This record gives sequence, structure tokens and C-alpha cells, in this order.
Amino acid sequence: MKKILIVDDATTVRKYERQLVEEMGFGAEEAINGIEALEKILNERFDLLLVDINMPKMNGYELVREIRKNPELMEIPVVMISTEASQEDKIKAYEAGANFYIVKPIRPETLRSLLNILC
Amino acid sequence: MTLSDREFEKFREFFYRKTGIFFPDTKKKFVEKRLLARMKATGHESFRSYFNFVRFQRSGEELQELTNALTVNETYFFREKYQFESLVENVLDEVLEYKEDNEPIRIWSIPCASGEEPYSIAIYLLEYWPRIDEVDVEIIASDIDTNVLEKARKGIYNLRSVKNLPKHILRKYFKRLSGDRYEIIDDLKEAIDFRQLNLFDYRENKKYRYIDVIFCRNMLIYFDDESRLKAAQIFYDSLNPGGFIFLGHSESMSRICSLFKVRKFKQGIVYQKPL
Amino acid sequence: MGLKKRTQREEQKREEKRAIKRDLDGLITQLQRGDRVQRRWAARDLAQYGEEAIDPLCSRLEKETDPAVQEAILSSLMEIKRPPIGERLIPLLRSDDAGLRNRVIEALQSMPELVESHVDELLGDPDPDMRIFAINIIQWVKHPDVPKWLLEVIKRDEHINVVGTALDALTDIATEDMKEDILRVKERFDDPYIHFVVDEIIKGLS
Repeated sequence: MKKILIVDDATTVRKYERQLVEEMGFGAEEAINGIEALEKILNERFDLLLVDINMPKMNGYELVREIRKNPELMEIPVVMISTEASQEDKIKAYEAGANFYIVKPIRPETLRSLLNILC
Repeated sequence: MTLSDREFEKFREFFYRKTGIFFPDTKKKFVEKRLLARMKATGHESFRSYFNFVRFQRSGEELQELTNALTVNETYFFREKYQFESLVENVLDEVLEYKEDNEPIRIWSIPCASGEEPYSIAIYLLEYWPRIDEVDVEIIASDIDTNVLEKARKGIYNLRSVKNLPKHILRKYFKRLSGDRYEIIDDLKEAIDFRQLNLFDYRENKKYRYIDVIFCRNMLIYFDDESRLKAAQIFYDSLNPGGFIFLGHSESMSRICSLFKVRKFKQGIVYQKPL
Repeated sequence: MGLKKRTQREEQKREEKRAIKRDLDGLITQLQRGDRVQRRWAARDLAQYGEEAIDPLCSRLEKETDPAVQEAILSSLMEIKRPPIGERLIPLLRSDDAGLRNRVIEALQSMPELVESHVDELLGDPDPDMRIFAINIIQWVKHPDVPKWLLEVIKRDEHINVVGTALDALTDIATEDMKEDILRVKERFDDPYIHFVVDEIIKGLS
């Protein structure tokens, strides 16, 4: 079964995304910030990352940049999730190495399409 | 009185957020027992009132008591020995790459408690690190508790402490005493620098500099968020660029400090100060 | 070779080498002009100077781009913990530097007293992201009115993500008397996430 890592510091957001992802037949794991996410990614394989931008300790941009630097991890598809649809944030996300950028709150149909394309 | 599933979930989520420790469903009874004990000890009749008490208490004292009750803290030789393996198989080689010639490698064990950890490191290096004969290694062991430091200097241990040691190691590095006790040999006792230290004493902690490897296992877990961050900063500054820090196996920098690089080796995760 | 114990003499030699002017002025200069290692040490040592260190630390933070130095400055400010710090840090929530913003949020979360008097202004900010950061900070303030402040947000705020953040923050602290208002949010926003969080809170109340 394919596995998604949900990275967000808000508990209900993680719960919600988990529900969506599991309903679509994927497995899900959670991390509350970029450092925890990195530790999980280094220990097991994930097919896609859903990454919030604003998190303590290591934010979304920093996490994706780290991942892209690591030859073992650089291929993992990343969907960056923002609270505001700003052009600058979008550009920053792609520059950091995200594959896709979407704005919260996540709609099930959007997530379904992305998961189908990316993993 | 038992904990409802929802209460257990709420608590589990909170504890995980605070400490990174996650209790699977199978641990419900374990958690319940200890929660109820703390509720009794603090005079709270309902989970809700106790939970609010823990969450909003400014000093964080009850959270620390609770953490104590929920985590196992035994010390013995070769505890979490996969980290010593990591030390000799990967970490020290990387340290040697950035060290100047003739500079000794410095390893800091904190808190050293009654000495099992620093002595374990020393024994592991002597037994399993092929390059120990080429390089000087200093092991500094500190603790805030002078009584426990005395015990460490004396180096006398009971069967429980040494239970994980292979027999040949027990024979080589310990003297058998009466009453199933073992004493570390003098050479090892003299090799370790035991020092009293209150980590947060800013005049004292500054003396710890140019460190290459820190073992700080199962200490930060007992601090509040602010102290944990302070401690991590102190460790960061005490390390040489490129130096490493090992935390306890259920601990993570993810709830503490963003300055360290996450490194994965075969045996697990170690944190590194960027070069 | 092998295990060696360090001698006292070697330690003293190192101490002497490091002797530079470490009074307040010296530290401030080092904070402004030193390299990253020196700025970090200066930031750390300035914590001992309390109130007098606030201005130099905050002024440097406004220009500082090195994360390790930012961290040291904030760590010292967290130790000093006096009201003027709140006023100086809040504007940094608007910074383009996401790392700095998030560090400032964390620092303010640990100094809730400094934020209490700014709650209205923060929750009324025209920028929805600022209102979201405000909720992230306020939710950890140990003030009896926090649930009430959050309730106001979910009743009045127009932005779905601000309301979503406030709902998430209310998850464990909502009270029975808020049930009606919380349910009403579902009518304001026909969104699956909003409905999900509202249902979570209601489940928790029963």
C-alpha cells in the first residue's frame, strides 16, 4: 500500500488529511514539523509528502530544500500547502523544490487528483 | 475508574506533542495506571480536571512528574548500545575528518549519573574502535548531583548494572567484589574526568568547549520547553562545527531545536552541528 | 594515544586566549560587527544584562539572517522576558523570512504575558496570515479568556483559514455553552474541513 506523510503542526488538519488519504486507499503517517518529518522520511519510504508551510522548528520550505539535497530522498513528490494564495509563496514553494502548491483548506477532489497524478 | 478511549486519545495527542513519545493503543492500560496514580497524588477526581491542571500549570512541574512516571529510566552498562556502535562505526571517523592533527577527540557524557554511560563509552572504544591507539580521546562526564558523581568515581556496581556486558568484558575491565558486586579497574577510573555541573550555570557551562561528541540521553525529556531549548543551545555552542550529539532513543530534536542537522546512520539518528 | 584526561593547565590557556572585552558595550559591538560565531556568543551573553540588552538584541534581530544567531537572540530574549520585547517582536511576524517568523511565533508562545495586551490588535489585523499567527500564539496563552477570544474569531472572521485555525485551537478548550456558535460555523462555511473540525469539537463536548 502506498504511504503518505502528512506534515502539519495543527492536530485537526492532520486528522482531516489522514481521513481523506485513508479513504482513498493510502496509508498515512504524521509529523508535526519539518524535523520530525525528515526523521521519519530517513527511516522509511513514503510515496508522497503533504507539507504545510508554517511550522515550528523547520518550516515547509526548509524541509523540502533539505530533501532535495539528499540523493536518496530527492525524488519524493511533495505537495506544499499554504493558507494564502500569494504569488510569492507559490514561487518560493517551487524554488524550494515542491512539485505542487495548493491552498488550504484542502478539497477532497483536489487531493484525489494530486494523489493520482503523483503517486 | 478507567480512562475512556477519547480521553486516552486526547492525552496521547498532548503527550506526543510535548515529548514526541507516542503511546500505541496497546499501551492504554500502562498509561491509565500511571495517570490515575498522578490524579490521586494531586487530588483530582476527574481526568478532565487533571488534564487541564497539567496543561496549564505554568511551572510545568506536574508534566515533569507525569513524564517521570511514564518513562522508564534505568541505567546500566551498554544501555542503548546501538549508539555506541554508531559512534565507532561512523561518527568518530567523520569527526577525525575535521579534526586538526594532534587535537584530542572530546566526548561529553551528560548526565553521567552513577557512571555507567561514560565507562560504557570508554570500554566500547577500547574494545571496538580500531583507531583508539592512534588518537587521544578525552571523556568528560558531568552531573549536577554530587552523590551520584561520588558513586561514579568509586565505580562499584551490582549485577543489574552489568547484566548486558559480555563475560570477557566483565573479566577484563572489572574486579569482582564480594556480594555480587563489580568494581571498574583503576585505569578506567583514572581515564574519565568526572565533574559536577549545573548545565544552566552560564559561567560553568562555558568551560565546555571544543567538544566532538555529546551523549545526552534521557535528560532533556524531563525539562520544560524553555529549558530544553536553552540546553540545546549550550550543547550547540560547546560542540566543534561538525560535532555530534546523541539523544535518548525516544527523544528528538524536533521538539527542541532546529540548529542541528539530522543524520541517519545504520543504527539510527544522530544530530550534527553543521560544519 | 587512547584515553586521556585533560589537565587543568590546558583549560586555563584556552580561557586566556578568549579574553576579550565582555562588558555590555563590548558585547553590543560584537553582536553588531562580529562573525556569526561571535554574534551568537554575544547574543547569549547579553541575556545576563536584562532590560538593557533588549534594544540591542531586538535591533540586531531585525537585520539578522543567520538562523543560529536568530535563535540565540530569541533564546536570550526569552530569558529576559520583559514587556518591551512583545512590541519589538510582533512586527517581525510580517517578515518575509519564514524561518524568522516561525521562531518569533515560538518565542512569543513561551512569553504569553507579553502578548495579552496586544490580542485585539493582532486578531483585528487586515492580513489573514497575521491573524493566523496571532491565533497560533494566543492558543497557548494561559488566560481564562482565551476560549472567548477564539470564539469571537469563529463568529466574526471572514477568512476561512483564520476560522479554521481558531477552530483547531478550540478543539480541547471549547466549553458546552459554545456549542451553538460552533455549529453555526458550518452554515457560514460549506467546506469539508470546516465541517470536520466542527464535528470533532462537538464530539469532544459530549
